[in-house]
Amino acid sequence: MLKYLFKKESQVETLLYEYLEAFKMTQENFVNALNSCLLNGYLCQNFDFHIRQTHKYESKADDIREEINNLMYGKALIPESRGDVMELLEAIDSIPHIFEQTLYMIQIQKIITPEFMIDDLRELVRISLECCDLMLQQVVALLEKQTDIRSLMRKIDTNESHCDHYERKIKTKIFNSDIDPFERLQLKELVEEIGHISDKADRVSKLINIFSLKRRV
Amino acid sequence: MFSLLGGIFLGWSLGANDASNVFGTAVASKMLKFRTAALLASAFVILGALISGQAGIDTLRGLTRIDLEQAIISSVAAGLAVTFMTLLRLPVSTSQAVVGGIVGIGIINKQVNLGGLGKVMICWIGTPIGAMVLALFLYRLLGLIYNRLNLNMFKSDIVLRLCLIITGSYGAYALGANNVANVTAVFVGAGLLNVFSAAMIGGASIALGILTFSRPVMETVGEKLVKLDPFSALVVVLSLSVTMHIYTLVGVPVSSSQAVVGGVLGVGIVKGVNTVKAKTLLHILLGWLFTPVVSCLLALAIYFAVHLQYIPSG
Repeated sequence: MLKYLFKKESQVETLLYEYLEAFKMTQENFVNALNSCLLNGYLCQNFDFHIRQTHKYESKADDIREEINNLMYGKALIPESRGDVMELLEAIDSIPHIFEQTLYMIQIQKIITPEFMIDDLRELVRISLECCDLMLQQVVALLEKQTDIRSLMRKIDTNESHCDHYERKIKTKIFNSDIDPFERLQLKELVEEIGHISDKADRVSKLINIFSLKRRV
Repeated sequence: MFSLLGGIFLGWSLGANDASNVFGTAVASKMLKFRTAALLASAFVILGALISGQAGIDTLRGLTRIDLEQAIISSVAAGLAVTFMTLLRLPVSTSQAVVGGIVGIGIINKQVNLGGLGKVMICWIGTPIGAMVLALFLYRLLGLIYNRLNLNMFKSDIVLRLCLIITGSYGAYALGANNVANVTAVFVGAGLLNVFSAAMIGGASIALGILTFSRPVMETVGEKLVKLDPFSALVVVLSLSVTMHIYTLVGVPVSSSQAVVGGVLGVGIVKGVNTVKAKTLLHILLGWLFTPVVSCLLALAIYFAVHLQYIPSG
């Protein structure tokens, strides 16, 4: 009965879960691309395939977001929640965009990562993606029972600090190395782009915490 | 029927103005379509008038003895007072205007039921204060329940929406029950209508105002309340509805606008924020003081104007 009366709300809820699924797939393909090609750069055989897959799921996430926005303009949810959902999606959506941009950067600029930074880069990617996983758990917590939101936010915040630490460490190594100055700038840009993932996840996490607090009297 | 036009006009303007207090939040924030809100409000106003409107009608007709001509004069005076105060941009209470008109007639008749008038005036003071205290209490109580439920974003949304619709309907019921006396009580006192037909005609004229002219008021007045979060808006509408229902049981018509201001103040106190500006409060106080006085003076003036006689000299 309620589902029938609040059909648009139910649609939005379903679409939000679909969006999260598309996000996970984008993230999975991004990881596959980086893992298989981190050592070999653009020469990796499956790199183009993973880029295409990443792009495919990033576009799918965009389409779902568009559909949710249309429902919002069709007056689903109360105005306050409408604004919150749209702001949340806009904030999350910046992350798949970074995944895609990072891969394009490697592909277009033909970046090959030097061996001295691979371990740290792997760690940076691992912690950044852990931030994304925790962020997704937090979104689900907001959509279901509002528990653990604060503890997840604290974990993401800690991880984000670790990422900053690795980002600085890698950049120091890059500029202490004797590689070509142009390559140094390319690598710096790549590391900064990957570093943005945890920054954005941290921003989303803080937004979710505010949205959760707003729903307490 | 022609004699009733003044009362019907008063009912129409009451419906056009006061429906915004109960459904303004839901409509202005697009939580509810205007058409649905107007239909719900109209139906519940008529139900309220028919089921619980009698006590208020009895109180107002008991304020003084009144004949048909005086009933028409008092309702026209009330209508003009409402218009005059609105032109001065002062918040106006139809209930106060009607009582002012009746008291004007009572002065002419040299017969005012001071006991009944005292009861009415105490209720006028009690309306905003009562709504404020109720809002304080309801905010704490409902807040406790709401937090315990720990609803997610979607469920919280649905619950608030449903509650606003139910509370708005209850508010419309209380509005009809409480304010129908303003519209037709004088005609019952004059013997033109019985209580049932007075409730029916009064309720229908308020409903007509809601259906035909409440949209702009709902959209503009409602926006002032939308600045509150949905939970606070719900508490305000609920405290307004309960306050009006209590005064309906007491049998005194009161102002829904004053009850809303009381509710908003109450929520502001709980949240520790200034929800109503000092200037707004001053305007309300001025409206509160002048509306019955202006209506009373207008009733006297109209009565004397109607009874002016031409006496030829020599």
